[in-house]
Amino acid sequence: MAVKISKMCWNVLSTHPRAVLRQVPKCSSMAAVSLQPQCSAPSLTSILASRDIHTCTTLHKQNMFDPKFKYLKYNKIVYPPQEEGEPRRPAEVTYVRSNIKYSPDKLWYMAIMIRGMSIDEALKQLSFHKKKGAMFIREALLEAQEEAVSKHNVEYKSNLWIEDSNVGKAFHIKGIRRHARMRYGFIQFKYCHYFVRLREGKPPKHYLAPPETGHQKMKNTLQEHRNKRVFGGL
Amino acid sequence: MFSRICLSCRILQVNSKNYPGALYRLQDASFNTDSTLQSQRNTHKRFRILRRLKIMGPPRKDFPNFEEMREKQKMTPAEQRQDMKKDGRMPPRSDRVRPINISCTGVIIDQYVPPEGDGKMSSISGEGAKQRLKEFGKKGQSYMQLRKIKQFDEDFEVKEFAQTAQEMYIEAQNLLQDVEKNEDKLHELCSEKAYPEMTYMLEEKTFRWRFLESVEPPRVVYVRTQDMMSKENQYAQVTVRMHLKQTLAVYDRFGRRMYGSENIARDMVEYIVFEKHLSNLYGIWRVHGKIVPDWMPVSEPVIRTYRKKEFEEIVEETEDSTDKEVVSKDDNPTVATA
Repeated sequence: MAVKISKMCWNVLSTHPRAVLRQVPKCSSMAAVSLQPQCSAPSLTSILASRDIHTCTTLHKQNMFDPKFKYLKYNKIVYPPQEEGEPRRPAEVTYVRSNIKYSPDKLWYMAIMIRGMSIDEALKQLSFHKKKGAMFIREALLEAQEEAVSKHNVEYKSNLWIEDSNVGKAFHIKGIRRHARMRYGFIQFKYCHYFVRLREGKPPKHYLAPPETGHQKMKNTLQEHRNKRVFGGL
Repeated sequence: MFSRICLSCRILQVNSKNYPGALYRLQDASFNTDSTLQSQRNTHKRFRILRRLKIMGPPRKDFPNFEEMREKQKMTPAEQRQDMKKDGRMPPRSDRVRPINISCTGVIIDQYVPPEGDGKMSSISGEGAKQRLKEFGKKGQSYMQLRKIKQFDEDFEVKEFAQTAQEMYIEAQNLLQDVEKNEDKLHELCSEKAYPEMTYMLEEKTFRWRFLESVEPPRVVYVRTQDMMSKENQYAQVTVRMHLKQTLAVYDRFGRRMYGSENIARDMVEYIVFEKHLSNLYGIWRVHGKIVPDWMPVSEPVIRTYRKKEFEEIVEETEDSTDKEVVSKDDNPTVATA
């Protein structure tokens, strides 16, 4: 395990490829260090350490300690100014709580529970929830709410609803567990990410498709019967 | 009742070398029979340590603790230093040398104080004429400084400069509407001090500014020069008074109006400071800052409302420290200040 962790730490040095292209000294110094013992003459080293060529092998890997999420790019969208009389465009804020030490499989239940709720309702429900994961989501929601008010020009913090609430898998650690009769089993120690999108305004009446009325049900059933065909018949 | 499994007769024997006296009966262990997977597992508190011993994998202490990291990121530099001191580590120090910029000064030299109520009085009226007279008295110093500028820049003409300065300012303001695209051009028009001040908080917002007309012709009201580090390294600053009719509106990320309006035109008197690095052969005049007089009324607030933040009251330090503690414990005062 110690080896694994140290490998992960090594990834901290290298960041996202695009970022590295800008931070030239970081990349070049690493290349220079690794290549110096092999060739003392400056020719090859200087070429390799030049601006746009990077010689690191782990560049494609994401930094575990500071992950970049595409999900947060929604916060960068700038919409054109609205005309007068146009309905006010509701604010949209995405937020990620990364690397929670909790199983994504367990967190999922709490995550889907709050979908389509107003933020106050979600916070209330989560605070009464028995499971530990509810605490993580609650904290994330509060942070997202704070961000919405301070950064994204949301006037009233209660005027938000949860449009999107998802769980993502973060890295897992593999462990071994002793069983009886010289047998063993593998355990996974899991980390997860939590993704939430808040939308300004009141929550919709039906987050999912509205339930069918009696008439609609009857119609559907009749249609089902009418669609019946006798196999091999006319 | 029936679903409970009783395993009272089974005895668990453990290595007595590691855990002396660890011989337990399982008679009062309760079993969760809700799911078939869980049913065969022992959940008793007493054997928790033993169950943990079965795990041979990586020790818990090797797991990265992101919670702790997150808390440490929120720390202030002072707290960070304290935290590192606890562990006996040296305080954080970077090898990076702070860059010094000598292409512009960081301040407005000997700031001009505009006359009170400027722009509201006509120069023909009694009050306006008085202001003009007062200004005239102040001009002596400026003429001295003007001579110094002409030592470096022979072609410098005050009247012409006022006009070009206004054009420069209007162009800079227009370019501010798309900072990302016009960044290079803006750096040509604004000094390194002015650029961050002008673009502050403009990212992810839409800024609309329009120049309509010049109410009064611009004029130079103040000239100052200063040297930095050595006598030869000279800078000149010229304050230009402009009276412009303009519109201004700021929209947030979602295109909703945050401040001002594009339909309401306003007459504004502005005192813009321009700077030039005289000693630099290729130095150019650039926008350096704006003078906002103390007497000016507070500008219009943004449209949205804010919740008042609650701050803790700062207890003033007194000599008698014991007295202070009692007060803070009893009252626990919190005073809301904006």
